[in-house]
Amino acid sequence: MRWFPTFGFQRRKRELQEEIDAHLQMAIADRVARGETAEAARQAASREFGNIPLVQDVARDMWGQAWLEQLGRDLRYALRQLRKSPGFSITATAMLAIAICANSTVFSWIDGTMLRPIPGARDTGELVSLQRGERNFSPVPPFSYLDYRDLREQNHTLAGLLAYHHDWITLTGGAQAQRVFIANVTANYFDVLGIKPVLGRFFLPEEETRPDAVPNVILSYSLWKTHYAADPAIVGKSIEIARHPVTVIGVAPEGFVGAMPGLRDDLWVTLDPLGTDVWRITHRSGGAVWLNVIGRLRPGVSRDQAAQDLDTVMHHIVAEYPDDHLGENRITLDPMWRSPFGANGYMAATLPILLAFAAVVLLLTCANVATLTLVRFVSRRRELAIRQSLGANRMQLVRQMVLEGVVLSIAAGAVALVLTSWTSKTFAWFFPASSAPIILNGSMDHNVVIGIAVSSLLAGMLCGALPAWRSSHAPAIEVLKAESASVTGGSRNRKLLSALVVAQIALSLPLLLCSGLFLRTLRNLADANPGFEQDQILTATVGLNIAGYSNNEQQVIRHKILDRVSTLPGVKVATFTDWIPMSLTQKKEDAYPEGYVPRPHESLKVAHVEVGPRYFESLHIPILEGREFTPDDDEKAPKVLIVDQTAARRYWPGQDPLGKKLRVWGMLFTVVGVAINSRHMFVNEAPEPMVYMSFFQQGYETIVQVETEGNPADLEPAVENAIHGVDSRLPVFDVRPMRETTQLASSFAVIESTLAGMFALIGLILAITGIYGVVAYRTQMRTHEIGIRMALGASRANVLRLVLVQGLWLTGIGLAVGLAFALGLTRFIARLLYGIGANDPVTVVSVVMLLGAMSLLACYFPALRAMHRNPVTAIREL
Amino acid sequence: MNEKDQYKNRIDLLQGTLDMLVLQTLQWGPQHGYGIVQALRLRSGDVLQVETGSLYPALHRLERQGWVQSEWKQSESKQRARYYRITAKGKKQLASDLGRWERIVEAIGSVMYVKPEESES
Repeated sequence: MRWFPTFGFQRRKRELQEEIDAHLQMAIADRVARGETAEAARQAASREFGNIPLVQDVARDMWGQAWLEQLGRDLRYALRQLRKSPGFSITATAMLAIAICANSTVFSWIDGTMLRPIPGARDTGELVSLQRGERNFSPVPPFSYLDYRDLREQNHTLAGLLAYHHDWITLTGGAQAQRVFIANVTANYFDVLGIKPVLGRFFLPEEETRPDAVPNVILSYSLWKTHYAADPAIVGKSIEIARHPVTVIGVAPEGFVGAMPGLRDDLWVTLDPLGTDVWRITHRSGGAVWLNVIGRLRPGVSRDQAAQDLDTVMHHIVAEYPDDHLGENRITLDPMWRSPFGANGYMAATLPILLAFAAVVLLLTCANVATLTLVRFVSRRRELAIRQSLGANRMQLVRQMVLEGVVLSIAAGAVALVLTSWTSKTFAWFFPASSAPIILNGSMDHNVVIGIAVSSLLAGMLCGALPAWRSSHAPAIEVLKAESASVTGGSRNRKLLSALVVAQIALSLPLLLCSGLFLRTLRNLADANPGFEQDQILTATVGLNIAGYSNNEQQVIRHKILDRVSTLPGVKVATFTDWIPMSLTQKKEDAYPEGYVPRPHESLKVAHVEVGPRYFESLHIPILEGREFTPDDDEKAPKVLIVDQTAARRYWPGQDPLGKKLRVWGMLFTVVGVAINSRHMFVNEAPEPMVYMSFFQQGYETIVQVETEGNPADLEPAVENAIHGVDSRLPVFDVRPMRETTQLASSFAVIESTLAGMFALIGLILAITGIYGVVAYRTQMRTHEIGIRMALGASRANVLRLVLVQGLWLTGIGLAVGLAFALGLTRFIARLLYGIGANDPVTVVSVVMLLGAMSLLACYFPALRAMHRNPVTAIREL
Repeated sequence: MNEKDQYKNRIDLLQGTLDMLVLQTLQWGPQHGYGIVQALRLRSGDVLQVETGSLYPALHRLERQGWVQSEWKQSESKQRARYYRITAKGKKQLASDLGRWERIVEAIGSVMYVKPEESES
C-alpha cells in the first residue's frame, strides 16, 4: 500500500534502482575482465554492494519524503489497530456519523434558506430589506410606489432599490385555469438582484408604470419548463393570464424564484400592466401601500449608514405628506438572512438554536468516543510502553494515536455526507400544503461539505488528541515492570475518565431540558384554545378575483355559490371569508377612529378580515354586543364593522363601541358588533386589535367556509362540485379542513420539538452508555481489590455501595454542572416557548430525576456483577 | 546526552569525511558511483573501501545541497550511468572540508606525538 504517491518520488525511486543496476553491471564487467566467471562475478558484486533495500531506504530519507512515508506507515498502523477492534471502530464511527449528520443537516437547512435567501441573486450579502414603522415579526408590504420612488431617487447609499408585490393569479386559456403566483415588479427588479434572462429580455425603465394593451410578462424557468415544454421560441408568443392576452418577453434563469425568501414566483409583470393600478401608483397611503422593497448597498456602505440615509429621506417625505404618514415611519434595514419578509424571519429565530443543540450533541459524542478511546489506550499501554522503549518518541506515539481518531472521524464524515444528502431534503416535510407557494428546503452544496469536513476533523482531534496525550505520559518502565500496580490505568487516566463522564452528563442535561420545554410547548400549543372551533370547518378558495371576472360578475357568482353550498347535505353553515386565521398570513390596514387623535409615531395598523353572514356562528366566536353581519350588509348598504374586544378597548376605552365610527381607506365604517378575542397568527401572540368587515362590502379573495356535521374532509368533493356547478371554469383551490391550514402556525414548534427531542434522546443514550461503560470498566479493573475486600470480610452490601458511590459521585457532579449550564442556556429559547417558563421547575426536576435515575441504573448493573463475584476467583484474576 | 545522540555525532563525522573524499574524487572529472568507489580504492592503495550503502545516500545528499550535479550518460563500456560533477559551490565546500580535516589531523597528531615528560609536567 502506498500513500500519497508523487510523480517526482516515483521517478527518483526508478532512477536510484537504475543507478544501482548500472553500478552492479560495471562491477560484474570488471570482474569478468579480470577472468572471473559470469556467475561468480555477479555474486561477488552483489555481495560487495551490500544491502540494496537499505541503500534505497537511506537514500529515500535523503529526499525528504520520509514524513510522507512515515504518515503512510502510521496510517496503515492505525487502520490495522482499528481493524483489530471492529466493535469499537464501528460504534465510534456510527456515533460520530450521527452527531456530524445532526450538525450538517441543520446546517444544510440554514444554508438552503438563510444563506441563500434569493437563489440566483448576486452577492446577497449586500442586499437589505426595508421595513417602515414599528418592527414586526410578520409585516405587511410597507411602501407606496411614490414613497419608494422618492427613496430610490434621493438616497446616497444604495446601488439600487427594487420593489415588488405578489399575489395569486390564474393562467387561463387552457382547459382548466391554473393558479400561479405573480409578482408586480419595478423595472430594475432583475438588475438590482443581478439576474440575467436565459431567453429574451427583462423590463425596460419606461415600462415600469406604463399600461399596455397587451402587457409583457416574464416566465419563471420552472413554469416555462413544465407549462410550455421549454419552448425555445416562447419569447414573443402570446399567453393568457386571468383571461387577458399577454406577451412573453423573457424567461428567468433556472433556480431563481423571486425576491421573497421561501416563496415561489411563477410570473413577473410590471407595476400597472393593465392600467387598473393607476390609483395604487399615484397615492401614498391606504391601499396604495402595497410594495415590498429591497435595496443593494453601495460598496463600502454599512447597513447602519444606509438606514440613516434612508431614514433622513423618509423624514422629508413625511414632512411633505404628513396626512399620508400618520403612524410610525422610521426605516429599519435587515440583511436578507433574517429579513422579516418571507420565511427567513422564522428561520433565523429557530435554526441557529437547533444548530447550537446539534453542536452540543457533537461535543457530547466526542466526549463519549474519547472515553472509549482512552480505555482502549489504557488496555494497550503495554504495547505503547514497548514501542516507547524501542525508541519511539512521545510525539510519534501521540501522532499515531491521534491518527486513529482522525481516521475514525473521516470515516464518520463520509457516512455523514451520504446521510446528509438525504436528510437535507427532509426540511420540506415540516411544511404542509397550504395556500402559500412555500418553497423551503435544505441544500447540499460546498458549504455543507466544508462544514462536514471541519466538524469531522475537529471531532477527530477532540476524541483522539486528549486521550493520546494522556496515555503517552505513562512512564514506560513502570508500566512494563509493575503491571499490577497500575491496574486502574494510573490516577491521571482515572481523572480524565471521570472528567469525560461528568462532561457527558453535564452536556446531556441542557439537551434534555430544552427538549422537555419544547415538547411541553408543543402540547400547550395543541391544547390552547385559539378562540374559535376549527375541527368541523372546511375551506375552499375560489379564484374569482384572479380569474378575470368583473366586479358584478363576482358578486353574482358569490351569491350563487353560497346558495348551492348551503343546501348541500352535511353542511351546517356556509359562509365566506377572505382570510384564514393562523395561516402565517395577515392583512393590515391603517385605521383611524373618528375623533381619535393618534400620538406621534403611534402605529395605526390594524388587522382586518372580511367575513360573510353567520361567520361567527360557524366558528363559534361569541358576539358580545350588537349583531353579526347579514346578507343585507352589501355594497348598497352603509359600511359596517365588527371589532374585537382588543380593538374596542383600544379605540374607545370605557365607552360603548356600538355606533362608533372608524375610517379605513378613506371610508367611514360604523361599528355594529363586538366579538370576543381570537387568535390571528399564532396561539402565543400578544393580542392585537382586529376589525371584521362585511364580505359583501369589502371582500377581496373568495374563500368558502363551511361548518360540517361530520368529518370536514368527507365533504371536499361535494363542495368543489357545487362550486363548479355554478360555473365549470371557476378555479377552485386549497379545498381542505381548516385544521390542516392552521397547523402551519405551529410548524416551527414542531420543527423545534422534533429535532430537540431527537437530539436529547441521542444525548441521553450517550450519557448513559458513557457512565455505564466507565463504571463497568473501572469495576472490572478493581476485581482483584474487591476480591481481597470480600475475603477480608466486606459484605456484599459494602461492595455494592463501593461501586455505586463512585458512579453516583460522577453523576452528582455531572448533574450539578449540567444544571448550572442548562439554566444559563434556557433563556435563549425562552422566546420560543409557550405556556411554560424557561426554568419551569417541574420540567427541571423531572429531567434531573430522569437523568439521575438512568445513571443510577447504569451504575447498578456493574455493581451487581461485582457483588456476585466469587472472592476466590476474583483475587486470582488480574 | 544519550546514546542515540552520540551515535548521531559519529555518523556526522564519518559523513563529513566521506563527503570530502567524494568531492575530491570529482575534482578530477565527472564520475559515476562505481567509478568513485574504484578511484578511491586505487588512490588509497586499496585501504579505503567505501561502502556503497553510504556512498549513494551521500551522493544524493550532496546533490540536494547543490555541491554536485548529476546527469545520465553512456560510459566508455556503453553502460548508461549517472555521472556526478562537482559544482562551484561544491569546490568551496571541499576547500573548507579540507581545511577542517587538516586541523583535525594536526590536532590529533599533536595529541598522539606528545612526549611523556611534557605530559607529566
